[in-house]
Amino acid sequence: MGERMFVPLMLAPIFFFLIFFYGYPTLFNFYNSLTDLSLLGLKQGGAFIGLRNYVELLSSKDFYRVLWNTLFWLTAVSVALRIVLGLLLALLLNSATLRHYRLTTASRLVLLVPWATPPIVAVVVWRWLLDGRQGVINKALEGLGLIDTPIAFLANVDTIWPALITIIAWNTLPLVTLTFLAGLQSVPPELHEAAEMDGANAINRFFHVTLPHLMPTVVVMTLLLIFWTFNNFVYIWLATGAGPGLFTNVLATEIYIKGFIDFELGFSSAVGMVMAAMMAVFGILYFRFVALREFREIL
Amino acid sequence: MSQAQVAAHSVALDGEITFRRNPLIDVAVLATTFVVWAFLIFPAVWIFLGSFKTTETMFAATTFSFTLDNYQTIFRAGFGRFIFNSLFICLIAVVISTFVSVIASYVFSRKRFRGKRIIFGSVILGQLFPWIILVTPLFIMFARIGLLNSYVGMILSYVAISIPFSVYLLVGYLETVPRELDEAAVMDGCSQFQIVWTIIFPIMLPGIVATATYAFLLMWTEFLFALAFLTKTSLKTMPLGLAQFFGEQTVDWGAIMAASAVTTLPALILFLPLQTKLSGGLAAGSVKG
Repeated sequence: MGERMFVPLMLAPIFFFLIFFYGYPTLFNFYNSLTDLSLLGLKQGGAFIGLRNYVELLSSKDFYRVLWNTLFWLTAVSVALRIVLGLLLALLLNSATLRHYRLTTASRLVLLVPWATPPIVAVVVWRWLLDGRQGVINKALEGLGLIDTPIAFLANVDTIWPALITIIAWNTLPLVTLTFLAGLQSVPPELHEAAEMDGANAINRFFHVTLPHLMPTVVVMTLLLIFWTFNNFVYIWLATGAGPGLFTNVLATEIYIKGFIDFELGFSSAVGMVMAAMMAVFGILYFRFVALREFREIL
Repeated sequence: MSQAQVAAHSVALDGEITFRRNPLIDVAVLATTFVVWAFLIFPAVWIFLGSFKTTETMFAATTFSFTLDNYQTIFRAGFGRFIFNSLFICLIAVVISTFVSVIASYVFSRKRFRGKRIIFGSVILGQLFPWIILVTPLFIMFARIGLLNSYVGMILSYVAISIPFSVYLLVGYLETVPRELDEAAVMDGCSQFQIVWTIIFPIMLPGIVATATYAFLLMWTEFLFALAFLTKTSLKTMPLGLAQFFGEQTVDWGAIMAASAVTTLPALILFLPLQTKLSGGLAAGSVKG
């Protein structure tokens, strides 16, 4: 075999997947978004209706509520919470006390448990714990005399988002914490010593030594969490089914509901294209500030 | 940084700070730690406990009567078949995905060619591609060529979604393998294909194992594609099988807990050796920039 063909041959399989599972479906999706394709009329295809799906989507009030749910509750709140808690937990795990009592390794193992739990199982067990009639959490709160009647955490509009975010945080906080912990442990001790000599206290040292050193890790983690959460379908779908009504509907569940429950594939494709366009903005940031740096040597 | 160095640092820091530790702060830190531990472990413990509880004591915190009924229920409901489907689809998909990713990563890491930035960029950006957007077009494509309700369709989809992160991890890993190794092999007259098989594969093995484990877990817990592409019960995977125990009116919590336990255990066992690599890798990669 010719050595000249080496690069093309090695890349042929990945090309196949890029084209048939990413490139073509995206273009096809765009085309479908310009039609009134229905799940029931897949064989005959849809009629071309131009931008009507987009006009309908962008002029509906529901869409902006879905957008708000996705951007604010699902993404912004849950990502910010996990970054802050992850940082605090990493500092806790790295604290002199835990290291003195040799509890850092044990804590790492504990963190493994929620992380290894499949998202679907995480949702299932939290639904059980949060159950509105007999859930353990309701029983505990009643036992402590904090509430008189059980709260349906995953149905009550006041508690539903905090409950959903708790589930997501429980499942994904370990990765954030362990990544920050690895970052903390790579801070050169000389830096801390030097700062201490200059009379910096623990809080000063955190803001002037630890945090700047950790900042690149924080940026990468924030971007990764944004992608993973913004795109996520499973947590919301399995925990609330986008309900009650469509109260917790987000872009990912909207695409599924419109396409596979209302059978309006054309409209669902249009929602998908809007979602892809929003993700593309984060994608450019990620590529520009993270990927290009990280893979500087090979690009 | 090597493990030894990290350990040395910890000791140095520990020794330096120990003599000023305030006992009150110690107590507060330990108390916080145990509260956090409880929050993290409690739900998972309840899965395993719940899976052995009878329906009557399912929600009782104090009474516990042991039973294996829940496990019998799920296997009578065909859970064995779901386990087989999951294993079959995931194992084949992992082998293909890892192979495709390894050979592509080698080329990305070691070769210069036109269009590299765009191709590599597309693969890396695949990580943040919303899979939900792929579901509708792939569903239509699969419906037309008969890949709905088929192992082949699921395997190909799982390979496609796991490639981007696999390449990301493997290229990162290859950066730690000295280039002199393959340059020396070129000098010895090895063909490029020989280099990949005889030198790169063996050296990369730890990285390949970690990547394959990650990919396996991703597929093992995947729900969305399975939900959209598999409607025949005989082809369903474990996550779907688990979800189906949520009835319209009644929920069989015992069966759900048993199914959850069976789904989680393999993941937990596989995660043990993987976790330091993945979290350390994410931190190392970002610190470098």
